[in-house]
Amino acid sequence: MKQLVSLVSALALVVALGVTASAHHSAVQYDFGKSTTITGVVTKFQAINPHMRLTLRVTDEKGTRDVEIEGHSTNNMYRAGYRDGLIKVGDKVTVSVAPLRNGVEGGYMVAAVTASGTRFGVQSAAERAREREKAEGK
Amino acid sequence: MSAMPRRILALAALAALVFIPISLAGQSAARPDFTGVWTTYTQPGAARGGGAGGGGRGGGAPLPFTEEAQKKVASYRALIGTSGATPGGFCLGSGMPGSMLGSGGYPMEILQRPEQINITYEAHNEARRIYLGDRIVPMADRVPGRNGHSSAHWEGDTLVVETTHLIEQVDQRYAHSSQAKIVERYRLSTDSAGTKVLTAEMTLTDPVFYTKPVTDTKRWAYVPNGHLLPYECAEEGWRMHLEELEKKAAKESK
Repeated sequence: MKQLVSLVSALALVVALGVTASAHHSAVQYDFGKSTTITGVVTKFQAINPHMRLTLRVTDEKGTRDVEIEGHSTNNMYRAGYRDGLIKVGDKVTVSVAPLRNGVEGGYMVAAVTASGTRFGVQSAAERAREREKAEGK
Repeated sequence: MSAMPRRILALAALAALVFIPISLAGQSAARPDFTGVWTTYTQPGAARGGGAGGGGRGGGAPLPFTEEAQKKVASYRALIGTSGATPGGFCLGSGMPGSMLGSGGYPMEILQRPEQINITYEAHNEARRIYLGDRIVPMADRVPGRNGHSSAHWEGDTLVVETTHLIEQVDQRYAHSSQAKIVERYRLSTDSAGTKVLTAEMTLTDPVFYTKPVTDTKRWAYVPNGHLLPYECAEEGWRMHLEELEKKAAKESK
């Protein structure tokens, strides 16, 4: 059931984004049925169209490496709370991404929490699933 | 001037003052104003994107393509393969009818005058200029393009837009040849929640690409005090070009 809810939520997300996301890439390389977070220090950030681009320097038990991330257009993120200057090189940020299907680290950014704690973007599939389960009393 | 002609002139002026405003008021009352910013319509109670907005750039039932169109579309899709490449990914707008049907998530803005209606689709700043009455451009003087050339007339409270002079496009859902003609019928309504809704009923006729006319319907909701955002997309390509020039210059200076 949980998997079904997650799938339905993921589909809802894709539908919700469909008008915008499908306007550009087909996004076939990303798995919007899954959601994960990546935390790192910003080494490069471009608030551009058709897709934001972000490079995070990630340090964890696997070591330190740069992870390339793309996301919604600046226009879509603006409507989801992004404002100029919210992300700067050197900031530590956490981003929610739909992971790459090929297993390479990175993904399609749907939301971010900035160094100041400001959140922008849309809900991830997993967040939607959790909210739905909570609403259903599970 | 004698008293009689003066009296006639005065009566004529009075008649003009009375009847011209009445005539103009009658025209504006019959012709709705579509001016404003519009986003994809969602039915009351439906989830975002799950309403009756319609349109879109992909999916849907198979289209009644001619054999020629089937070959061209299949060839294009084979070329793109699994790359996911789209015109938008290269900062190129959809062109009609995709620009119209796909608008909403990226809103559209309409500015309306009696003789010309301008539509801007935020994504890629695609623009359409729809001419009415004396502003309509003769067929021989029209320039083909991805959004074609549009003229319009009113049928009561419905704006009927005809678009021709499209270029052949296989890179959108409603692939079409240069012989395509698109008719859109725009009208305003109000839903049960009081939202102002703009509906476009589209009919695409193209004897080269389709065995019969195809139709689609798109609905938008009015955005009170809405604004379009700028949509620059080609900056990255320009920046990369400058970087190449810098590298070349540095190499030559050595």
